[in-house]
Amino acid sequence: MSALRFFDCNARIGRSSAPRPEHLLDPSGLLAEMDRAGLERALVYHTWSVEWDAKAGNDALHKEIAAEDRLYPCFAALPSATRELPPPREFAQQVRTLRGAVRLFPTQHQFALSEVSCGHLLDALSFERVPVLIDIGQTNWREVGEILARHPALNLIVLNTYYRIDRFLYPLLARFGNLYLESGSYGVHRGIEALCQRFGAERLVFGTDLPVHEVGGPMALVTYAPLPDADKQLIAGGNLCRLLGVCD
Amino acid sequence: MAADTFTQACRLGQALQGELVIDAHAHMGPWHNFHVPWNDARGMVERMAQLGMDMCVASPHIAIGPDCREGNRQVMAAAEEYPDRIVPYVTINPNYPEAETREEIGHWHSLGRIKAFKIHPACHSYKVDGPGYGPMFEYAREHALPVLSHSWAGDSQAGATLLSRMAGEMPNVTFIVGHAASSWSMIDEACKEARERDNVLLDLTGSQLLYMALEKMVERVGAAKILFGTDIPFIDPAPGLGRVLMARLPDDDKRQILGLNAKRVFGL
Repeated sequence: MSALRFFDCNARIGRSSAPRPEHLLDPSGLLAEMDRAGLERALVYHTWSVEWDAKAGNDALHKEIAAEDRLYPCFAALPSATRELPPPREFAQQVRTLRGAVRLFPTQHQFALSEVSCGHLLDALSFERVPVLIDIGQTNWREVGEILARHPALNLIVLNTYYRIDRFLYPLLARFGNLYLESGSYGVHRGIEALCQRFGAERLVFGTDLPVHEVGGPMALVTYAPLPDADKQLIAGGNLCRLLGVCD
Repeated sequence: MAADTFTQACRLGQALQGELVIDAHAHMGPWHNFHVPWNDARGMVERMAQLGMDMCVASPHIAIGPDCREGNRQVMAAAEEYPDRIVPYVTINPNYPEAETREEIGHWHSLGRIKAFKIHPACHSYKVDGPGYGPMFEYAREHALPVLSHSWAGDSQAGATLLSRMAGEMPNVTFIVGHAASSWSMIDEACKEARERDNVLLDLTGSQLLYMALEKMVERVGAAKILFGTDIPFIDPAPGLGRVLMARLPDDDKRQILGLNAKRVFGL
């Protein structure tokens, strides 16, 4: 196998409320770790957008990675009713133009994922084909299914899961073709192999959760998977490239 | 191997060649609250081969759950089927009568099959220094055997500090603190104890592979006190292996962690 071209869907930058001393806080630190580990590109969100203010964090993210062609923006989104961010169609178009994605933090940001709350936003993101990422710790599998039932064209990537999820996950993967799973946290024994047999390698997207977690674990899950090289490359980066509309 | 070959192997998905890799914390079989594909001994051995893992020391899930006797029988059968791959732990459930525990130990002793013990005070809801474990520690002391205990941050049944205190009372028993890298508070507590006791070792098993945690542990206690473990098939072993392969450590440290320490501790 030649080296895979990894594109991490789950990395962050920015000063945070309670960092570990070894945490990488800025783009240069993240890029240095990506070089060490062998990651080509990363989709990055900003800690400010989670822990302080979505708009200020999104603006900081745009500014801090503008000159870095290996880093792609992942903007925090909010329900449109409070008008803290641009109107949904405008916001979704801006994200699409920047070849970015959107991440939802409904628990951290205290909003509902219901149709009343997020319907307009998710309609706009679906229309613009902007991928939406959500940490399973910010929602639950029932809500994931409800969102996809209401917005069947939405490309939804669920992040930061773990090894006890198949009984929740498999029915949803079978029902919703636009549901994707971050591979790095999916620690099921031979889980990638089993999932690919049932649903195809197109449903997994490589992610690390840098700088909280190590790269080596997520990377080994892909490189040591008993899959054809082409399938490994889909997971390592091809699927995310397709979802973002950028070249592989 | 040349420097950085471990990292390169991980990047390319290559099984290590000429290196010893022993998983000191393995299980076997299904578990009640989640789906575990290919969870039998054959499924584990296939996965180990893909990753270049030579051996694992295993206690079946049923042993740390409802029936240690059935689990011990299962792992002994697996070790007979895969003698070069699977090393059995004898698992003890302290909630059953002392006579039964002595009988179980005596049975495997008579067959010369006891290499190490595994205990799970959390699953068995029993404090590690309680009398139900007495016959096991008695045997471990007599035969200078290692004991792997499940442990966790804030674990009232078998925290690292309590295990270390017991290690102080049994200097010829090697206490392996399970899941010693599972959180930063666990790392702090476990490293403090491992630094103070020669016979306290730290197991890396866990799903949370915290950034730079392994390097910090080596800095605090040295590579000789850390054992590679993965929980296979409770968790896929690839992440745990990848974490060690790609660590910012000298190759010789990785060799100790991946296999040489376990070879010494388990007498393999």
